[in-house]
Amino acid sequence: MQELQACIGCNECLLSCPALGEAITIDVLNRETLSGPISAPVARFARSCYQCGACVAPCPVGLSREAMMMWLKVRLLRSGWEKE
Amino acid sequence: MRTQHQYEEKKGETGYSWLRFSWGKGQALRLFATLVLIGAGIAFYAWYTRNSNDNSPDSVAGYGFAIAGTLFLVLAGIVYSFRRRARKKRVIGQLHASLQWHMCFATIGLVFLFLHSFGNFNPRSGTYALYGMIALAVSGVIGRLVDRLAPRFIAAEAHKALTARGEDRVESISQKLQAIVVHNSEEMQGFSPGQNKAISSSPVTLSDGPLSNHFPFEYKNQPLHTPWDLAYISLEATPQELSREAGQYRFVPDKKSELMRPGAFMPGAQEHISELREVGKAMQRERFYRYLIRYWRALHILLVFVTLGLLLWHIIYAAELLLPTLIHR
Repeated sequence: MQELQACIGCNECLLSCPALGEAITIDVLNRETLSGPISAPVARFARSCYQCGACVAPCPVGLSREAMMMWLKVRLLRSGWEKE
Repeated sequence: MRTQHQYEEKKGETGYSWLRFSWGKGQALRLFATLVLIGAGIAFYAWYTRNSNDNSPDSVAGYGFAIAGTLFLVLAGIVYSFRRRARKKRVIGQLHASLQWHMCFATIGLVFLFLHSFGNFNPRSGTYALYGMIALAVSGVIGRLVDRLAPRFIAAEAHKALTARGEDRVESISQKLQAIVVHNSEEMQGFSPGQNKAISSSPVTLSDGPLSNHFPFEYKNQPLHTPWDLAYISLEATPQELSREAGQYRFVPDKKSELMRPGAFMPGAQEHISELREVGKAMQRERFYRYLIRYWRALHILLVFVTLGLLLWHIIYAAELLLPTLIHR
């Protein structure tokens, strides 16, 4: 998750995402990917992301947003199991 | 006092259910538009078949459906592809809307081209083109299902391969195993180099030393290197001792010994190794789901080209029939 620190916030990954249906700012996404509570729009985005990898190629600093989204999904999954 | 709702809000969203659909205004609008257009097409078809005697694909209504269906299919292909490649005037969420329009136009196009057939499936080219379009639409629907389910499977497998802090579990298990190996090799030093050297550094070799002259056995003035008496115990270094000296000493405990218990020398190592295998399998499954998502998309694109080819074949076939009629008029 150290990759997140390298994000320059250019939004290229979000602009090229076919799964993102609502406006989310990159800083909110980065913050919630790292830790803390996950807001409803970010959770909806994480659930609708289908790991197509369209976000990886446009990143100017070569980060893997796909892997970060996967971590967000795992966090949602684990929180769901903890709740049960 | 904090209410349950406030508590949930602070805690944030939880869970990743299999079939959770979230509907926005845009999605509802697109679905409504699709249903209205399909409904209008079917209503016109019903009205036309009741009021006209020419119910064939090459009737006026038939051509109308063909042109409209082809236009919608072209729109379905172009809107999404161009939006995806666009580099100007991009807005977050626009590509998602384009993808949904792509699905809507493709569905409308398929229905219109189905209506264009008027139930007449005899001409080969048209039937194949229709089958191609049906396959394309079905692959798209299955693709959306795969997009929905596979990431959930991937997340479940990734959960097994990641630690609580999101680090690679293989690395952490490998580090633990390494620590066990280091610990055990330190323990094993008590057996091998020090003691072995003590034993092997002072072997009593009779053949080269002065004691060799004291051999009482001779044959034709040559001392016997091998004693004739089987009860004689040689003091020369045994093969085992020699192998100890070579640093390849292997300790083989007694069968009844506690040390024969699996994992006695490496406590916890077996558990870590099986854990490592489990993580490896989880990663393999994760890779499979990723390939499924990507290759299904590739299949869909391949079907687009096959259907386009079939469509062009049918258009040429129809033009060959239509153009002479139009020219002779």
